[in-house]
Amino acid sequence: MPEFEGWQRVATLSQLRDGEAYPAKLGDTPIALYRLNGQVYAIDDVCTHEHALLSQGFVEDCAIECPLHQAKFDIATGKCLTAPATVDLKRYSVLIEGEEIYVSTAPLK
Amino acid sequence: MFLRNHWYVAASASEIGRKLFRRVLLGEPVVLFRREGGQPVAFEDRCPHRHLPLSMGKLDGDTLQCHYHGLRFGIDGRCVRIPGQDQIPPNAKAKTYPVVERYKWLWIWMGDPALADPSKITDFHWLDDPNWGAKGSYLHVKANWQLVVDNLLDLTHLAFVHETTIGNAALAEHATVKVARAPDNVIVTRWIIDQDPPPTFKKVGGFVGKVDRWQIIDFAPPAFLRLDVGATPTGTGAPEGRRVDGINMRNLNAITPETETSSHYFWAQAHDFDVKNPETTNKIFDQIQTAFLEDVEVFSAQQRNLDIIPNPSQLDINADTGVIQARRILARLHDEEQAALHVTAAE
Repeated sequence: MPEFEGWQRVATLSQLRDGEAYPAKLGDTPIALYRLNGQVYAIDDVCTHEHALLSQGFVEDCAIECPLHQAKFDIATGKCLTAPATVDLKRYSVLIEGEEIYVSTAPLK
Repeated sequence: MFLRNHWYVAASASEIGRKLFRRVLLGEPVVLFRREGGQPVAFEDRCPHRHLPLSMGKLDGDTLQCHYHGLRFGIDGRCVRIPGQDQIPPNAKAKTYPVVERYKWLWIWMGDPALADPSKITDFHWLDDPNWGAKGSYLHVKANWQLVVDNLLDLTHLAFVHETTIGNAALAEHATVKVARAPDNVIVTRWIIDQDPPPTFKKVGGFVGKVDRWQIIDFAPPAFLRLDVGATPTGTGAPEGRRVDGINMRNLNAITPETETSSHYFWAQAHDFDVKNPETTNKIFDQIQTAFLEDVEVFSAQQRNLDIIPNPSQLDINADTGVIQARRILARLHDEEQAALHVTAAE
């Protein structure tokens, strides 16, 4: 499978589990993959509040809760839902090719 | 902060006999002893007359006599004799607490006696289960009880505090950690795959090569930590549930607050191999005890700083996930207990 310009292969589908985050690296950036209702999402993995790794937190419905200070973010959009964080997470396009998961190297605007 | 409506370990069963035994629990002085028939009993260690510790008095059969003016109290706490006075006021009563003997420990209920249900005692069956060898001990800790709970929920400290016994660098740097939470429970699961065993595991398990090591920490409020710990030769299937050719142990901890800045720490180590051999039990216990004494030093040093700077700001790191979830449960339970008290007071 060739690498596509502007995309990076980060995981395979079988590595993902519903209700659990899968931490990965996009270049040097820690990101997390989630599978919700058959869709795969990719968002930044570092909490915009105090640098916790969100993938070690708790998936509650369609949100990820920070393991340390309980900020919540929408998994599909990266939107910050609750304090103490105030800044949204960057999200990335996801492309599935067979078993392989590709993520766009630039975040979505 | 104390949670009152819970069972706590007051003493090892072997500590308590016919001699009056004083211990401060959750800020209250308590005297423990056994009846002539052997059943354990707990009174507030304060005569309701002029406050002398009843533990300075003496037992006459199942009657407890105060050392100061000779008032006598029956097993239910009721005053049965006042020297020089025939009539005994109906409110002449020493406070008593429900006590249950289980798992070689004496459990006490410091809250509302109407809520004391022995079926709610946290399971520590490993301490007297014939399929396990076990040995325990008691440590007095000059620190708040929650510092001890924190310590057991974040085992990355083993790599630094206990590098001569149960820790090594692999544990902090090469572990996968998962934290699962329920309303009244936190489970921290840590796997260290294909790494060198720490010194204690080499001594006890005789490992020569790399191991797969697990630490599964089960926290139940207010301060019970039951750790499923062990290792098997790497690649033999422990992460998939097949534990062979290794060592399988339980590290069992029950912490009872003494004051806001001191605690009673009851702990034991159980193992499911060579269970009838006291030499094995002692060898394991000695190794773990060395580590626990190192912890006790850490707790008191933390508390000394907190005495000088109460409630300082603190840095949280990812390894604190279990600690933070447990502290949230404890804070919620405390709020609930306080709210129930206010309802009762208003009625």
